[in-house]
Amino acid sequence: MNVIETKDLTKTYKRFKKKEGLRGSLEGLWKREYEEKTAVSHMDLEIAKGEFVGLIGPNGAGKTTLIKMLTGIIAPTSGSIDVLGFYPNDLKNKFKEQYAVVMGQKSQLFFELTVNDTLRLFKEIYGISEQVYQKNKEFYTELFDVKGLMDVQVRTLSLGERMKMELIVALLHNPQILFLDEPTIGLDAIAAKQMRRFLKEVNEEKGTTILLTSHYMEDIKSLCERSIVINHGAKIYDGNTQELFHKYQRNKKLTVSFEKPVDDFEMPEGAVILEESPMKKVFRINLETVNATMHDIMRYEPIDITIEEDEIGTVVERIYQEGSVKHA
Amino acid sequence: MKQLRRNMRVVKELIRLRFQNLMMFRLGFFGPFFVDGSLFCIQILVFQAVYANVERIGSWEKGEMMLYIGTFSLLNAVNMMIYFFGVNAIPYKIKSGDMDLYLTKPISPLLRLSLEQVNPGSVPLIIMSILIITYGVQTAGIRISPGKLVWYLFWLVIMQVLYYEMEVIIRAISFYITSATSFVQLEEAALGLCMQLPGIAFYGIYKVIFYVILPYGIMATIPVQSIAGEMTAKTAVFGIGIVCIFSAITYLIWINGKKHYNSASS
Repeated sequence: MNVIETKDLTKTYKRFKKKEGLRGSLEGLWKREYEEKTAVSHMDLEIAKGEFVGLIGPNGAGKTTLIKMLTGIIAPTSGSIDVLGFYPNDLKNKFKEQYAVVMGQKSQLFFELTVNDTLRLFKEIYGISEQVYQKNKEFYTELFDVKGLMDVQVRTLSLGERMKMELIVALLHNPQILFLDEPTIGLDAIAAKQMRRFLKEVNEEKGTTILLTSHYMEDIKSLCERSIVINHGAKIYDGNTQELFHKYQRNKKLTVSFEKPVDDFEMPEGAVILEESPMKKVFRINLETVNATMHDIMRYEPIDITIEEDEIGTVVERIYQEGSVKHA
Repeated sequence: MKQLRRNMRVVKELIRLRFQNLMMFRLGFFGPFFVDGSLFCIQILVFQAVYANVERIGSWEKGEMMLYIGTFSLLNAVNMMIYFFGVNAIPYKIKSGDMDLYLTKPISPLLRLSLEQVNPGSVPLIIMSILIITYGVQTAGIRISPGKLVWYLFWLVIMQVLYYEMEVIIRAISFYITSATSFVQLEEAALGLCMQLPGIAFYGIYKVIFYVILPYGIMATIPVQSIAGEMTAKTAVFGIGIVCIFSAITYLIWINGKKHYNSASS
């Protein structure tokens, strides 16, 4: 059963184009030129109950705009949209009771008060019974391991702790769908990893449908069985996440540092040099040659080697160039 | 009915949170009592300066004018105490995209915004305004019957609603345009003038402006006319009609404004 369905969903914004300088400003007072920017273009989407879907795309691709339309925050320009049987922008309370949205850059917590204080307000907003409230609070504080932080002023929490609290606030009313817009933004590796573990558990234990946008490959790879890649507002891939990365994430970036200057360093065959100095070499190689390259490099006795995967932007660019649109 | 009960519980919780928030900082809690008290004293001094040499305006003598000043101060103090700071934040919430968080919760965003920043610092102003009203009633020699008092309170309540609606309309313009600052300045100027001059002082085009377009001129005038026994049936119908019209305008501007909302780029 689908909980989200969109057809031909489009959102365009009108932007004022001001000519340069004071003269341009004066002209703008009388005659304005506008340009249309399409944030989401003819998007067809179907998400089934209980799915954990990743929404990938570079900055300005239209991920957040899509989430804002699905949650009813903004109205689409054209196309149809159905979330849990509702047209989101009608902003019906019955609809809003059934989903939750967490935006990595916006907080719902009261910074001067404690999380317990905020939770009380949300209990009333969602009309949660005392029994369910206590049960859910207990469940999530244990899951997120934050029992000792519930009576602490929010402003004194770390970013990672605060993000956990944002999730507890969002999940308190047992939403059917959880929209997550960059929930791991700014988190360190450990906090991001913890967050991923919790989200997986919420999806599996509660059966919550989760739509996640993230810039971090790791978030999508480890959580979402299905990924949707969007670029310039249009869907360019919709399918299995492992397949996506297997097919399009072809290179690794290696950063090798040495204790002493190395002048006779031989670049592996096919490597693209990104940075080179006697003490440090940065290059990109094909995924399949990583093992052999690592073996070769060891003879120069490096003090540090860092291996990074292709960034989301590179993967998107590759899909875009190859024009492969796969639908689930 | 269920939604109403939920709204009441949310309002109670919002007020409770606001008090807790203010009490986290002692200066934050006690400061507004001093600031609002000082502003009130300045306001009274301005009134005193304006009316020191004015014996009467139209049919009103010193007592009625005192009653007018007290009534306007009371409307303003209730506004400051209950909803001003919340409503005043609407343009910022729209511009910054913070409105997203209000629109996605199953409670009226306007109700939540209006009541999440109540200001107990204005309570003394309410008490002082009531004292001025009492003094005005005595000076004017008005005999208060229970019926008259209820009639006066009725007008106070609906004019408070009108005051609220005007504030919401002006700030909800931010849904449609980038900045509503000039409208807020216009509101401040009109309020400043109408706080000093009762509606009965306006004639011609000024009466149209301050009775119909920016009805600040009737907000304290009509309640005073009701208690002074000067209210005609025509005035009563007009007063109720204006409040109904502005309620409809507020509803339309707010509802359509939410549809116009484009959030902010993240």
